[in-house]
Formats: sequence, structure tokens, C-alpha cells
Amino acid sequence: MAIYVKIEKNRYIDSLQTLFTTALLNDHEGIEIGYVNMANTAFKEVLRKEEMLLPEIEALSDADFVMVARCTSQKLFDEAVAAINKDAFSVSTDRSGTSFRTIQEAKAGHPEANICTIAVPGEYVLEEVVKALDAGLHCVVFSNNVPLEDERKMKELAVEKGLLCMGPDCGVANINGAALVLASINNRGPFGICGASGTGIQHVAAILHECETGISQAIGTGGNDLKEPVGGLMMQLGISALEADPDTKYIILISRKPADSVLEVLLKKIGSCKKPVVVFFMGCDKALIEKHGGIFASNLDDCAEKALNLIGKTFSLDTEQEIRALAGKIAEGVNPKQKYLRGLYTGGTYMDEAMRTMEPVLGPVWSNAPLKSQFKLENSSVSKENTCVDYGEEEFTKGRPHPAIDPSVRRPAILKEAGDPEVAVILLDFILTPPGHMEPVGYVLDDIKTAMDMAKAEGRKLVFIGTILGTDADLQNKKEQSEKLQEAGVVVCKTNHTASRLATEIIKILKERA
Amino acid sequence: MMDIGKILDLFKSELVVINVGSHTFASALEKQGYTAVQVDWVPPAGGDKKLQEILKIMGGLH
Repeated sequence: MAIYVKIEKNRYIDSLQTLFTTALLNDHEGIEIGYVNMANTAFKEVLRKEEMLLPEIEALSDADFVMVARCTSQKLFDEAVAAINKDAFSVSTDRSGTSFRTIQEAKAGHPEANICTIAVPGEYVLEEVVKALDAGLHCVVFSNNVPLEDERKMKELAVEKGLLCMGPDCGVANINGAALVLASINNRGPFGICGASGTGIQHVAAILHECETGISQAIGTGGNDLKEPVGGLMMQLGISALEADPDTKYIILISRKPADSVLEVLLKKIGSCKKPVVVFFMGCDKALIEKHGGIFASNLDDCAEKALNLIGKTFSLDTEQEIRALAGKIAEGVNPKQKYLRGLYTGGTYMDEAMRTMEPVLGPVWSNAPLKSQFKLENSSVSKENTCVDYGEEEFTKGRPHPAIDPSVRRPAILKEAGDPEVAVILLDFILTPPGHMEPVGYVLDDIKTAMDMAKAEGRKLVFIGTILGTDADLQNKKEQSEKLQEAGVVVCKTNHTASRLATEIIKILKERA
Repeated sequence: MMDIGKILDLFKSELVVINVGSHTFASALEKQGYTAVQVDWVPPAGGDKKLQEILKIMGGLH
């Protein structure tokens, strides 16, 4: 396996595009590992660690563009480069063939444009958002690393102009039926969601979809909106808009616990809202929410359930009794030496929810982002006892895309964990979204089968539990992805919480048996 | 009182998206049947921080 490189001097490709392109490169036949980036110092450092920093790359400047890979042959590498140039870098233009350099030019060419998605490096976000707002465009800002004072400024301007500014750090938004940034495709229906947690919005919207109802709009505020310096400006505006929107009959709010001063403002807004409001503010007091007329939800599943109850529906989840019975059945035939679980997550919110489910029963869970700092793994690639790893953490995504887009970052962990004779259960999550990997399950299916066969040959029974965040309307189709997992012998659970409950019960049974 | 007239107009309109940065989000919208207009954004002065500062001082960077 040799290292091949393609250099283009003085060609600028933005950082997000290079990440998506890295995913395409790694998907190509013959590529063991590949990177695409501008030849800046940080990237050279990544390549140095991977022992891929060739002298010709080291000699380049920040303005030069590099595609580099360990690949089985020059021919396959050239094919990959050609495919990337065709698929990823073909310039998207409007129908008249014009390509635009600025927001103002694009708006002049398309006066009917009404919303602007922005994914540029954090330091440039404020000026681009101001340009978009000045052009009368609502904004969805995917970029992160935006200073809070910049976020405050752009949101004050948005409120002044009566425009939405979703994000920065907005991962999920659904407007008029369109899945923006990394959202799922959902049915439309009577529920308007406003939330600071992308995964949370996607989770609740997907359950509503599965229960044959849906969302009018989903306004993602970005993770920092409910912090003190930003003051919940976008959630306040979002609630007002959803309250006035005739297609929204019910409102759902989702976030981690807001800052105290922001919570106070939001509770007043909830109290005066003329529509029913389901509130899931993680860690917030039930009595406080109910005192202000909100419908309290204790977790994401409960949030969807409370919303469904408003239209006389319910989401049938396995009961505790059913989970225990299933766990007992699955635990049969597991080798007495197998006693631990390993959670390999692409979604940080899901890993957090899982560990909170596991710890009260199983004790501390080791992790690269643990609930208690003393259980932080020294090396995220070396698991201990019960371990959960978030492959979306920065240590794995430096120079690489998020695993929802490029699942290759998590892939090696499946066979590694399966090779540990003490492991009984492996948990996997899969996220569906239009810009995401088109075959997230298919990508790891052979590894899952190999892992099961390997364990069987060694007299072990390895249990895989999976969950899929998305809908049947997603381009990857949740049902098809789920069937592929089930055919391979993976236990597919309806929600992340159920999956972590089931895994916890299995390990508890194995512990008691030992 | 927040003015939400423009947001209600958005909710009633056909969505036409201007996408700044990665083409991937524009392609994902086109796959769903929406119109996406691409802005091929590049950093001011090619990302050169020193040059950006000089241009700012000279009034050449807007």
C-alpha cells in the first residue's frame, strides 16, 4: 500500500467541503485512508501523525490544495481523484449557468430567494450573516466556533429585522418541509418544534413521523441560544412565530437546561402562549414547568409521547417488563466470561442519554466524554470494562468529517471490540440525513457479520444492538436500513433509550449470573 | 413585541435557498426537489490574515 498525492497550487476549497470530499475519497475502491484539505499547518500535523506527510506536501503553502491517500494502486487513486472532481467540485450554478461570488449577487440574480444556509469558518460568520439579513434573507448557520458576542449581535439584528437566524451551530432545521443542514426528511403536521439540540429535534420529529403525524416547522436555534450572553433571542422569536402560525397547533420546546435568566423569560412566554406547549428542558424541574402552564417531558421519548397524547395518539415503546424478558432471552448462551458492553456512538447526545441510563444500574461507564471526569479513558481506542465512545468528538474529527457523513472513523472499532473476549454487547447508532452517507448500515454490515462469526468460532455469543435516527422518507430509508441490520442478526430498538435499557439489562443479568 | 410578519411570509412561500460554502448542502436540497442557489464563497484576501488587516486599514475590504 503506497501513498499517492494530488496537489493543486492556489486553489481554495472551504473546510466543510474538504470534509465532505474526504468522506467521498474514503469511500472509493482501493483507498485505505485518505485526506483532502488545504495544506495548512494543522493539516500537515495530522498527516505527520499518520506518517503521510510527503516532502512535496510539507513544502506547500496554506493557499494550496491537497488530496492524499494510502491506496492499493496509482490507477485507483487517479480514478478516485477524477470522481471527486466530477461529483464534489462541479460548480453548482443557477439555471442560467451563472455562478455567484457573494450573497448580494445571488439575491440580485434570484430576488425570490428567502433563506440562506451558511457554512463558512466561524471567524467569517458574522459578516456573512449580516449580509444575508441586510438582503432580507432568513438564515440557517451551520458553522460553529462563532464567538458568543458575534452570535448575540447577529441575533439582535435578526430580531430587529423580524428574520430568523437559526444557529450558529445549527445542525437541524426543517422549514416548509425541507430538511436543511443535517435534518431528516419528515412528514408535515400540526407540531411546531423550536429547539437548541439538533439530535433532540430530529429524534422527536422522527417519532412523530413514525406515528403518521408530523411537523409544521422545526426551528433550530443553535446550541448556545439559551446561554446567558445570547439570551434565548431565537427561541423567543421562534415561539412567537409558531404561536402565530395557523398551521402550528401545538408547540414543542427542546433544550438542555437554559441559563436561569433565560429560563425566566421563556417560562413567561410559555405561560402567555395560547397554544399547548410541551417542554423538554433537560434537568429542569417538573413543578416549575407545570406552574407556568407547560406540559413537562422528562426525556426525548417522553417529549414525543406527550406531544402525541395531544392528538390522541401514543408511541408504543417496550415496557420495562418486556425489555427484561427480551434481555433474559438474549443473555441465554452468552459465555460466562462475557460481561461488558461497548457503545460506539456517532451522536454525542445519544451517548450521553445512554450513559445516564446505564450508570444507575451498572455503575460508572468509561468514555472519551464521561459523565464523571475520573472515568475518562486514557486512550479512546482502548476500552475498559463498560465503555461508550463518541466518534463525533473532536479527537476523531480533526481533518475528518463527522461520522454521520463519513462512517469510516468508527468502522475499525467494531472488529476491535468484537475481538475482546469479555465483551457481550456492542451498541451502534446510525443517523440519516440528505447530506449524510447513503449506506450507513451497509458500510459496516460485513464487519458486523465477521465479528459475529469470529465470536461464534471462539465459543462466544456477541450481541449487537442498533438504533437508527431518521425516517422512511429519508433518502437512505429507515425501514430499509433497519431490515439490513435485522437480517444480519442485530437487535434493532425503536429508540436510543430503549437500546441502552436493553443493553443495561443484559449486562445486569450476566453480572448476576456470574 | 416581536414582529413576526416576515417569518409568517416565509412559512407561506416556496422555499428558495441561497447556499454559502460547501456545495453539499445545496446538492442535498436539490435532491429533495428544492431550488438552491450556490455562492462559491472564498475567504477575503484568500484567507491571508495579514493581507486582510492591510486591506481593512486601506478601506479595501468590505
